[in-house]
Amino acid sequence: MSTLSLDRYLARESAIHAADARLKFIATAGFILALSLLPVGAFAALALAWAAVVIASAAARVGWLRTTTGAFFALPFLLAAAPLVFTRQADPLGEVDLRLFTLTVSGEGLKMFATIALKSWVSVQAALLLSFTTPFHELVDALRRLRLPSLMVAIISFMYRYIAVLAEESSRMMRARAARSASRDGHTGGSVIWRAKVVGSMVGSLFLRAYERSERVYAAMQSRGFSGEIRHMGGRKLRSGEWLALGTVAAGLSGFSVAARLWFPTA
Amino acid sequence: MSIPPLFLLHAPDGFLSTPIAAVMWLVTVLALAVAVRRADANLDEKAVPLMGVMAAFVFAAQMFNFQVAGGTSGHLMGGVLVAVLLGPWAGTLVMACVIAVQALVFQDGGLVVMGANIFNMGVVGTFGGYLLYRVLATVLGGEKRARLPAAAIAAWLSVVIAAVLVSFQLALSDTTSLRVALPAMVGVHALIGIGEAVITVAALSFIAATRGDLLHIARPALAGQGSQQ
Repeated sequence: MSTLSLDRYLARESAIHAADARLKFIATAGFILALSLLPVGAFAALALAWAAVVIASAAARVGWLRTTTGAFFALPFLLAAAPLVFTRQADPLGEVDLRLFTLTVSGEGLKMFATIALKSWVSVQAALLLSFTTPFHELVDALRRLRLPSLMVAIISFMYRYIAVLAEESSRMMRARAARSASRDGHTGGSVIWRAKVVGSMVGSLFLRAYERSERVYAAMQSRGFSGEIRHMGGRKLRSGEWLALGTVAAGLSGFSVAARLWFPTA
Repeated sequence: MSIPPLFLLHAPDGFLSTPIAAVMWLVTVLALAVAVRRADANLDEKAVPLMGVMAAFVFAAQMFNFQVAGGTSGHLMGGVLVAVLLGPWAGTLVMACVIAVQALVFQDGGLVVMGANIFNMGVVGTFGGYLLYRVLATVLGGEKRARLPAAAIAAWLSVVIAAVLVSFQLALSDTTSLRVALPAMVGVHALIGIGEAVITVAALSFIAATRGDLLHIARPALAGQGSQQ
């Protein structure tokens, strides 16, 4: 059994949890943008940024290890950046003999690769911290208040409500497939194309279930007086203290970006 | 549980340079603004829950995996499938929302690079895929007769073109060398695209066999004419 929940929220009592989701979203996006702007080899700045995430995770009482280790799974994408290590010419460090041809490891390429890996790793941690400290419905509401078109807000809200139901449905279907597909260890039945066709039929079947569910949902909404418009609670404006916090974050991140270009040592 | 990264198409933060990410955001925001207007203009009220549940459907359908080789597994991207079922505007919005939620909740894809991810899979992979589907269907003898072959080719191309776009974005960001990445990405995704094509066709023919009416009804429901049921 697996139930999938959109909420990765960890209920704790902390100032970060209590903060307005708009602030957290803007701060996280700004932080990741500042990381994105760092030059190649800005390892000191990256270390500082990582320290900031660790401190924030500790302050939010979610445990810095959770964000740090949770961020590793995004790393397969590094394969895409791996060629850099060999295709740059500057600062050759050594050669790898692959019999057919030799690859030259470039110091410059290695430095670029490491920068990308660390940027991505710290960025994922910041995004993780956001989802650990912000319930999803608050995040969606923040996006609505930040002027995401109401149609997209509606789609995301419905998606949030039904994702667990449909994910449960799809895992039931996969369990049924597994129950019908006995096989010896390390062997799989049928050809790859055949297996993909089976998945296709499951997708088709899931579509029908989802479609019919959406009809029931609509009927239920209609019977409760839905007239085509989704109404939201008014929500409050940001308080002056929150504007101040936003300004501080913006100033801090700009200062960080400038300092990283001008004063921080780069490798 | 988390969803395995969708091939190598969900770029994480840090992989695209800021100017490239910004340009892609700009293009994506413009495209989505048009899609929202067009979809909003001819929505009936039933379409809102339909699109929301369909976004959850795409997400759940991407969980169906099948073994390919050596412990790797393939699964659906779903852009062309959704566009054929819901129409291009609604399909694009649904895919954009799926990609946004995957990034916000599962960190599957970054925030600053989200514009590029939505552009590759949601705008080009879905809207562009749908245009290809329509052109191919017309060329091959009408949507009714040529639905499946047109969907197959469009689904395959949508994955391959997305891979080409990712490669160029990475190369322009100085994150990889185009000479190495382009053939590798296109090669891998040409194979993955076969899975996409087979799944899309099997799903469409399953729907045609069981609820053929939906291939026609899902779209009028989103085009303001109401469902005939």
